[in-house]
Amino acid sequence: MGRLVLRRLVATVPVLLLVTAGVFALIHLTPGDPIDAMMAESVDATVKATLRRQLGLDQPIHVQYAVWMGRLLQGDLGRSIRNQEPVIENVRRRIRPSLQLAAFAMVISLVVAFPVGILSAARRNTPVDRINTTFALFGIYMPNFLIALLLIFLFGVTLRWLPISGYVDPFEEPLDGLRSLLLPAITLGLALAAVITRTLRSSMLEALAEDYVRTARAKGLSEGRVIRGHVLKNALIPVVTVLGLQLGTLIGGAVITEYVFALPGVGRLVVDAVFARDYPLVQGVILLIAVGFILSNLLVDLLYGWIDPRIRYR
Amino acid sequence: MAGSIRGSAIAEPASLPARPVTTRPLAARRYALLRRALRARLAPFGAAVTLLALAVAVLAPLLAPYDALKQDLGNTLARPGPTHWLGTDHIGRDVLSRVIWGTRISLVAGFVSVTMATVVGSLLGLVAGYWGGRVDGLVMRLMDAVLSFPPLVLALALGAVLGAGLTGVLIALGVVYTPTFARLMRGQVLAITAREYVEAARALGAPGWRIAGRHVLPNATAPIVVQASLSVAFAILAEASLSFLGLGIQPPAASWGSMINAGRGYLQQAPWIVFGPGAALFVTVVGLNFVGDAVRDALDPRLQA
Repeated sequence: MGRLVLRRLVATVPVLLLVTAGVFALIHLTPGDPIDAMMAESVDATVKATLRRQLGLDQPIHVQYAVWMGRLLQGDLGRSIRNQEPVIENVRRRIRPSLQLAAFAMVISLVVAFPVGILSAARRNTPVDRINTTFALFGIYMPNFLIALLLIFLFGVTLRWLPISGYVDPFEEPLDGLRSLLLPAITLGLALAAVITRTLRSSMLEALAEDYVRTARAKGLSEGRVIRGHVLKNALIPVVTVLGLQLGTLIGGAVITEYVFALPGVGRLVVDAVFARDYPLVQGVILLIAVGFILSNLLVDLLYGWIDPRIRYR
Repeated sequence: MAGSIRGSAIAEPASLPARPVTTRPLAARRYALLRRALRARLAPFGAAVTLLALAVAVLAPLLAPYDALKQDLGNTLARPGPTHWLGTDHIGRDVLSRVIWGTRISLVAGFVSVTMATVVGSLLGLVAGYWGGRVDGLVMRLMDAVLSFPPLVLALALGAVLGAGLTGVLIALGVVYTPTFARLMRGQVLAITAREYVEAARALGAPGWRIAGRHVLPNATAPIVVQASLSVAFAILAEASLSFLGLGIQPPAASWGSMINAGRGYLQQAPWIVFGPGAALFVTVVGLNFVGDAVRDALDPRLQA
């Protein structure tokens, strides 16, 4: 296991380097002058020149990169040009709602997906299975923002049960907090639930056909015990893989969900920064998201190696 | 695997074995392919939806009952009825006409971005797989780096610097989908170059570019076609998402995503502004996915779900 961790960590280094280079290059991809893109034409030339100097855009590009990387290595991701605060500070203020949303969505998806997936596999090709398959189809192909608007239409506008926007911290006001996060979490969790359901169903069907299941049944175990004790455990590995593969989807989905429900999270921060053409903030936040994404993938890889020892030696 | 735009569209079946060379006459092979594709239960529905969407996209100027951009401030938020089948929006534009024109934008975004990704990705994969060594290392690390960003976030960032609008969206999505094809093609090339006929061509003294073009590329296309057909639906979803966020196709142009975004403020009074384009988007994406599944089943029975 130690060797696996080391090997994966070493393999991550060049990718991280390329990612930082890519994020650095982002600002230079703007057609024309990035300063003109960031500020209205009417802005005074001296103000523009000051910003250009602040961002180091008046330096040759290799110097810019060296300075930028140097700061990065000291943990300085730059400053927003709108509120002048460090990127880290901007993210720190916004991370809470995002993490709460992600955790809540994950819980909802698991709570929905496990019973549905297990039921579908145990009652394969029955009406129950067909209904579940249709549900999964909706979850997979329905874009996030449509699910969100359907939920808002149903529970917010028509039934008026739940708030349709805004955020209350569940750690300060538990009931209102959970209510404010419920619709966003369902939005984000449903797509994930659909994918987990499909994966669990097919991996369980595969496990159900194994010899050890026949043996378990032959020795007289009830179907429930066969599934709990023998099938489910072996069917979990593909589910973990799929959870890992869905991370990117989850982050993208969070951006849209936070936007629709006006949650002040990191996803919303990205969209706002893009709208404000606050490129240093865009760069910093995107870099943080990418690094977070790489590290989570690394974690899933290691988790996978831990669950299935055969993988460690490949 | 089905997945979503969104991450798992990017999960590539990397280690597909190279396809064996069949010797049956081409016509018979094509017929068998078609039959297998149609046998998939949902394929006819998918094909019908896709053909309909294509027809609507091409014939948009003829089919749209009204000018998609023409405002009628005396008739805003009108309910669906005989004069406006899908109602009108907040500035009195006909929703049906806008959905019809939106079909064109969605399909262009889906097909063009995936075509770009297919061509660029396949070429990169071919070069990396065939020439190997440092080129391989460099190209594939670059692809890894692109894959290190959540797809929608990368598309957002690229869209932001390239500027909103169709061109920005196309390039952004093209970049996002390129690594999938590069990895897939590289895997194919590695499998194929180990085969005897490539060795034979080499022994006969054929130059590298000729072997790559004549022997490797044609035999590596099947999984690429499968991946491309599955990616189109996700690219359409991605375009809709970007336009929904206001960072894709800009108003007043009719794009399903931007229509839905504009209509969300009127969910209570006029839900049809959202549900017209929403239904079109959902049905098109499902239909294209069924076609993709059918293509996969036809070209590679081993991958059948």
